[in-house]
Amino acid sequence: MNSKEQILRRIAAAHSPEISYPAFDFTPQHFADPAATFAERLEAAGGRAVWADGQPLDEWIRRLYPEARRIASTLSEVTLTTINPDETEDPRTLCDVDLGIVRGSFAVAENGAVWIPQTIRHKALYFGATALMIVIPRDAVVDTMHEAMARPEVCEDDFGYGCFMSGPSKTADIEQALVFGAHGPMSVTVVLQ
Amino acid sequence: MKIGLFIPCYINALYPEVGQASYRLLTALGLDVDYPLEQTCCGQPMANAGFEHDAKPLAERMEHLFEQYDYVVGPSASCVAFVRESYPGLLEHQGEKPCIGERTYEICEFLHDVVRPTTLPARFPHKVSIHNSCHGVRKLGLSSPSELNVPYMSKLRDLLEKVEGIEIFEPTRRDECCGFGGMFAAEENAVSIRMGRDKIRDHLSTGAEYITGADSSCLMHLQGIIDHDRLPIKTLHIVQILASNL
Amino acid sequence: MSTHSKAAAQFVADAARTTWHDGALWAVRAKRDRMAQSVPEWEALRSAASEIKRHTLSHLGHYLTTFERQATANGIQVHWAVDADEMNRIVGELVARHGGRHLIKSKSMLSEECGLTPYLEARGIEAVESDLGERIMQLMHRPPSHIVLPAIAVKREEVGTLFEREWHTEPGNSDPTYLTHAARKNLRTKFLGADIAMTGVNFAIAEAGAFAVCTNEGNADLGTSFPDLHIAIMGLEKVIPDYRALGVFTRLLARSATGQPVTTYTSLYRKPAPGKQIHVIIVDNGRTETLADTAHRNMLKCLRCGACMNTCPVYRRSGGYSYSYFIPGPLGINLGMLRSPASYHGNVSACSLCYSCSAVCPARIDLGEQIYAWRQEMDLSGHADKYKKFAAKSIQFALSDPERFRSAVIAGRLAQRLPHGLLNNRFNPWYGSGREMPRFAPRTFRELWQAGEIRAAFPSAPASAPGENGPTAPQNHPTNK
Repeated sequence: MNSKEQILRRIAAAHSPEISYPAFDFTPQHFADPAATFAERLEAAGGRAVWADGQPLDEWIRRLYPEARRIASTLSEVTLTTINPDETEDPRTLCDVDLGIVRGSFAVAENGAVWIPQTIRHKALYFGATALMIVIPRDAVVDTMHEAMARPEVCEDDFGYGCFMSGPSKTADIEQALVFGAHGPMSVTVVLQ
Repeated sequence: MKIGLFIPCYINALYPEVGQASYRLLTALGLDVDYPLEQTCCGQPMANAGFEHDAKPLAERMEHLFEQYDYVVGPSASCVAFVRESYPGLLEHQGEKPCIGERTYEICEFLHDVVRPTTLPARFPHKVSIHNSCHGVRKLGLSSPSELNVPYMSKLRDLLEKVEGIEIFEPTRRDECCGFGGMFAAEENAVSIRMGRDKIRDHLSTGAEYITGADSSCLMHLQGIIDHDRLPIKTLHIVQILASNL
Repeated sequence: MSTHSKAAAQFVADAARTTWHDGALWAVRAKRDRMAQSVPEWEALRSAASEIKRHTLSHLGHYLTTFERQATANGIQVHWAVDADEMNRIVGELVARHGGRHLIKSKSMLSEECGLTPYLEARGIEAVESDLGERIMQLMHRPPSHIVLPAIAVKREEVGTLFEREWHTEPGNSDPTYLTHAARKNLRTKFLGADIAMTGVNFAIAEAGAFAVCTNEGNADLGTSFPDLHIAIMGLEKVIPDYRALGVFTRLLARSATGQPVTTYTSLYRKPAPGKQIHVIIVDNGRTETLADTAHRNMLKCLRCGACMNTCPVYRRSGGYSYSYFIPGPLGINLGMLRSPASYHGNVSACSLCYSCSAVCPARIDLGEQIYAWRQEMDLSGHADKYKKFAAKSIQFALSDPERFRSAVIAGRLAQRLPHGLLNNRFNPWYGSGREMPRFAPRTFRELWQAGEIRAAFPSAPASAPGENGPTAPQNHPTNK
């Protein structure tokens, strides 16, 4: 008997009583202005949300990240790009680029997170860039994770890797003092376009 | 309606005044109160230490002594919680007969939920800080546990608000354990005493003159530290305040 | 005295450190409370989480095989390990087959449980912890003292000294931002030089054949960004049915753990990237025994959020190292007993039965009630402390009859006449570091009753009821069930 069979046999022998999948007998919280709540909670998580208001992304990059020199993106509308990450063979070279500009599909109001299914060749850009700008459609904001999990981008699409990202990388492992930029981006801006 | 007064062992020996105040309070509210003389202990001390089966003869004794009463009422949340939670299991062998656990009440709970007096003949012109004891909060529901997202509620506060002249406070960590815990107090005495000191400091910071609650056991532990450290605060069982004018 | 009690006394002896430890963890509990208060349906969410876990456990074989089938269809390779040895062996074989000596790890309690790092190190494989707290502990050669906040017992000055020694940071600089960024810089070289990535699994989603890894630092994601091989290890209780369930758990996990609405990164691994491999190892290591244990099966609902530690008044004042099992607090007391009562019963005393752990648990595990149950089981299995047993027997003897009780009280009163120092000293466990004995009353309540003094002043009069509606016949407890 192999290990799998052994484990399954032990599980069967445990005779755990039959419990049915619960119905959710609650109404998840709803926000009057989900986008505003998203912006607020993203800020609490150390990030920032901006509404593009018709201004080109290049403008926002110049305004928010004027120091950025090495800029990586596959977004055709960004002309300030200096690196095409999809033409990069070694993902290691994407570490420590000044700014990455990537697409996310929707935001979650209750926790300031954005769902980013991997659409670029190397996910290293999401985590190796010093600053990250995530572009999402302006109306794509759901209230809670319940709705988020029911979105086709999560439960139907054939993604390989995806991430709910809420603000910049952070840690409080030294005396509970909050520090941004533990390993991933030091700064995250979500652009609602 | 006949009430059997349940006076836990340590209240009997150390704090008879708490028993007396309970009797006075219930009788002043027009209730018929009796004290079964042969009672000793509910068995909680052994059970919490890990010897619940040693509590069985005591449970049988309690059951026998109190079965004739409509209500069993005692001034100790933790003892009442034990009777209510554990007696059905300990007395399983007696079959279908209803167990006293179901009709055993902590005295504040009994006043608040069953007697429901609109006024109390009490006056206590002092600042008091409520000691929300763990079993009272998390086993009997005397107040809303701070961990839960439920509206604030406190049966102790509701009753104290009927006392004339009183000022009511609660510590910042309103239902953090004081560190008594029965045998825990001795076996883990270093942590137990540290918890007690922290709890007293929290009560002291409210500016209260008295720490009051529904469990004399917590108060006994705190008073022991107060006495040793000579701190400017006293402990007093809540029934002594509710019966202060009787 | 239990092993915990002895170690705790040493921790408490450093009053200032105890104050800091208690305060730091209470602050996390307070943040958690604010988060719980901000979600109106919080209690219903906890119930849903508990029920989903119970449901999953009752169909565990089904969900594990579903996960395996779906994950395999996605190109993930799934392995099964009955125990720690087998898990370590599988990891060792995967590493050997792949080649490479540098493994970058993100936090996994299962790895600690199975002793994976020492296993790999003995085979010449470098296993670097990438979570900052875990890395600090690894460099200090000490185990984590908390499952979510591994370095909570370490002060910033100690981290400063450590980094100065390891990475030549500025002498005397213990600023957390400076030190964190020094670690970021140093660990970059480890991330870039790794051949193999290892992560734990927070949730394995059966229907999707995907698994979720939650971190704040992004270390798991960065770690899996470069190597061709990603090994993920999971206890078999980590499987959940579907995305719908994941929605419930992701709302509870970080709020309960650190008081954040969600972890910074909730990453779903569904298919390996082209040319890369993902292997998942499903580990039993005693969990099926827990599943068969009706009294303690609930422990398998655990999300490993650590909220029970943060709220535990004993853990906060005794620190992680006062427990002999590698997981401390209410969770560790229970898991240690499930692992081996003979080895870990010394932690069972570390509980005042306040039940705060049961009230914070996002999966509604009755942790406190189970500790109470363990105390009962210890007596049956012969692990009860013999002095405590003697004390309990004596109390039972003295209390089993009013006359004996009276004699005990008389003895107590006599003892109280002894000089203060003879009774109140450090050899008396009640007195400890300074807690006076209570005084026996001159007359017991029973004696006063017998003498008619209780009733004399206040005869019981079944008069008309004074309340609004008056007392009625016995009813079920109306409010607290």
